[in-house]
Amino acid sequence: MVNGTLNSITAWLKSSKLNRLKRQLKDPNYQFLFDVEPGVFVCFDCETTGLDKKNDRIITLSAIKIMGNEIQTSQSLNLVIKQQEAISADSIAIHQIRNLDVENSETLYEDEFEAIKNFLHFIKGATLVGYYLEFDVAMVNKVIKPQLGIRLPNPQIEVSGMYYEHAMQKYRRSCIEPNIDLGFDHILKKLNIPNIGQHDAFSDALMTALIFVKLQQDS
Amino acid sequence: MAMTQQRNFLIQIPPFNQLPQPLLNELADSMDVVYFPQKTLIEVSTSISENYLYLLIKGKVAEIQNEEITSRYSVRGFFGDTAILGKNEIQAHYEVQEEAIAYKLPAKLFLKAFEDNHEFSHYFNSSIVEKLNRIHEAIQSATSTEVMMDTVCSAPLQNYVSLPPDATLHHAAQQMVKHRTDACIVEFDDCDDCDDCDDSNNSEIGIVTSTDILKLMANNEPDIASLRLGGLANKPVQTVHEFDYLFNALLKMTRFQIDRLVVRGDEGYLGFLHQKDLMSLFANQSGLVLLKVDQAKTVSDLVVLGEQIDGLIGNLHHKGIKTHYIAKLVNELHRKMINKLATLLLPKHLLEKVCVFVMGSEGRSEQVIRTDQDNALIYSDGLTEIELEEVAQFSQTFIATLQQMGFPACPGNIMLSNAYWRMSQTDFAQKVKDWFANPSEENFMYAAIFFDAEVVFGREEWLKRLKQILLDEKEKYSNFLRHFAVSVLRFKTPVGFFGGLVAESEAGHEVIDIKKGGIFSIVHGVRCYALEAGIEKTNTHWRIKALMDAGVFDKEFGIELGETLNFLNTLRLESMLKQLVEGVELPDNKIRLSELSHMQQDLLKQSFVVVEGFKKRINHHFALDGLM
Repeated sequence: MVNGTLNSITAWLKSSKLNRLKRQLKDPNYQFLFDVEPGVFVCFDCETTGLDKKNDRIITLSAIKIMGNEIQTSQSLNLVIKQQEAISADSIAIHQIRNLDVENSETLYEDEFEAIKNFLHFIKGATLVGYYLEFDVAMVNKVIKPQLGIRLPNPQIEVSGMYYEHAMQKYRRSCIEPNIDLGFDHILKKLNIPNIGQHDAFSDALMTALIFVKLQQDS
Repeated sequence: MAMTQQRNFLIQIPPFNQLPQPLLNELADSMDVVYFPQKTLIEVSTSISENYLYLLIKGKVAEIQNEEITSRYSVRGFFGDTAILGKNEIQAHYEVQEEAIAYKLPAKLFLKAFEDNHEFSHYFNSSIVEKLNRIHEAIQSATSTEVMMDTVCSAPLQNYVSLPPDATLHHAAQQMVKHRTDACIVEFDDCDDCDDCDDSNNSEIGIVTSTDILKLMANNEPDIASLRLGGLANKPVQTVHEFDYLFNALLKMTRFQIDRLVVRGDEGYLGFLHQKDLMSLFANQSGLVLLKVDQAKTVSDLVVLGEQIDGLIGNLHHKGIKTHYIAKLVNELHRKMINKLATLLLPKHLLEKVCVFVMGSEGRSEQVIRTDQDNALIYSDGLTEIELEEVAQFSQTFIATLQQMGFPACPGNIMLSNAYWRMSQTDFAQKVKDWFANPSEENFMYAAIFFDAEVVFGREEWLKRLKQILLDEKEKYSNFLRHFAVSVLRFKTPVGFFGGLVAESEAGHEVIDIKKGGIFSIVHGVRCYALEAGIEKTNTHWRIKALMDAGVFDKEFGIELGETLNFLNTLRLESMLKQLVEGVELPDNKIRLSELSHMQQDLLKQSFVVVEGFKKRINHHFALDGLM
């Protein structure tokens, strides 16, 4: 009974939040973001100039659609955004994007909002899937908020959360408080998913999608 | 940028690696990733628009026709091509045996590549020999770093210097210094006095080296400078063709215990290949083991070398070198070790009085991983009681040391420590005759492995004489060959009615005994033909070549049979190496199907078809129908 009430309260909160967002939307052309498409998932990942949500920027963004057990890499979206300032040496070390690569990239966008527009058209009302998705969503929000007046309204699924639930099943009847490692490589290893490539936005999005597909089969 | 992995994945897979880059990219970029939990059934549709080629990133999938598993696919294997190309007579479906992740490529694009690219489509229509050669090429081009497989002309050669026989040593020394080389060829004009002139053993030339000059000086020879070269030249001179493999050059040097070879081209001589230059190329590589055998001074030196050989085999195999060549190299090493061991252990006064030979797979130079030993010893007639005792003593130590060196004891006790395999010349001759007079399965087996024998120590002509007796006896007993050949048919070839592989289940793995299933039939079958034709060669590949030369096998069939044997031996070697890594002491001949790639399974099936055809041929040729 309590649960039921709680659920309906959460649902009400959610819908009122969405309605508020809808009212805040400055450009009606982006109304489609609110038309939820059940069963359509988009996994996405950004590489950024750093980990500071406020000051750092998106360098590359890859998004891949998931339909059932199929990950549509052939229609993936891969964006590269031209940087005003040179990329810091620290982040080059992580994802090996050199300034040179950005300059030479084919799908290079001068303007970050122009780039993210493509992303919005790609995701439409899909549910977003990611690993530490909050960060990636925040990076996108930073770009669209000034232009559209809203944050991304799409439902979101955090794969590390899914994995936590999955790992906890084993301990359901035990009184041990397990210490579950939510590191990306650890999850891949535990789920027997091959480490497909180096750390770029596309590989990470693809592997995250595989984690999602596998855990979804599981539940 | 993002799709690079899909491209990198596809480019690793033959025949996709042969596609031009733009087409390959187009294919790679159109692939999606799909996840299949265990036990999923993957249906292939017959309509082009809904059909896909699947390429496995991970997991295992079985192809099933009429409830029989006809193929198994694992990482980098692909399936669905037969359905797309409309080759399936029976509808196949696919079952996921181990959770799988795959790329799926739309049939439309696969067909595009198939129609646009001749080499690509040829792959799906080509014969087994072509496919096999392509595998080797692919592996070899990927790792062309193995110097062993480079050609002689890629090594640093010393300049060629030659002089007529009436030139003086002084003149020769001047020329050698001028051309910065340490050897000089002496060219004799006429070639009349040599009747065994062949391309590797040229007696119309001789060689004088700086070592010869040093020796002359050390011996205080008078008036060295004016000596004529004709009287000094060493003969015969060993040569090697400029396009031969470097490892063959090294083998030649160690076999003849020489430091240099004369390199010849099609037009004449080109220069000298010196061992020290060759070794500097090998630096730390496989070639060093070869030399160490020569340098071994004690039995324990040899024991250490035995271990190094296994590492060498693994290295060479990973570099894509044909198993036949690896076998040749390894057997050369084994024989050198055995020869050295006999020299170290035999009392001096017996050195001239015994002959040791290896039989069976060792005799044929086909044993790569040491799984067995078959050897025998002949001693001269009329040894004294004491000498006989010494030979017996030697035999026990010899076999015990071989075991330490990693040659496992022969389960059938076919070893010279057994008095049955250690006899005088006369007694051994009588024994060969007895095999024919008292035919039994055991005696047939003895005759078979003896026919493969080769001398590793002592007088070669002793064994030759015994083998001649074998050939004579075979003529006398006209029915012998028929009964001898029957065992080719002893084991069933493991292919099912629909062409699928028939495996046994063992500890959760589907396995095939590849020796019983194919290798034995080819080896023994070829042995029967060779015995019939009186061919001296013992190696199966050389026997096949000799049978082709004699017109017994036509060329196409001979090559197909040889390549098939090579492939089966390669699978066996791979499995044995894996077993050794897993800590199995004595690897067996079983291969696990799930560990084979799609391509390998495909070839395995085709290989068994070749084996089946060969069996039918033998059945007919030796009229075996009435005997089974």
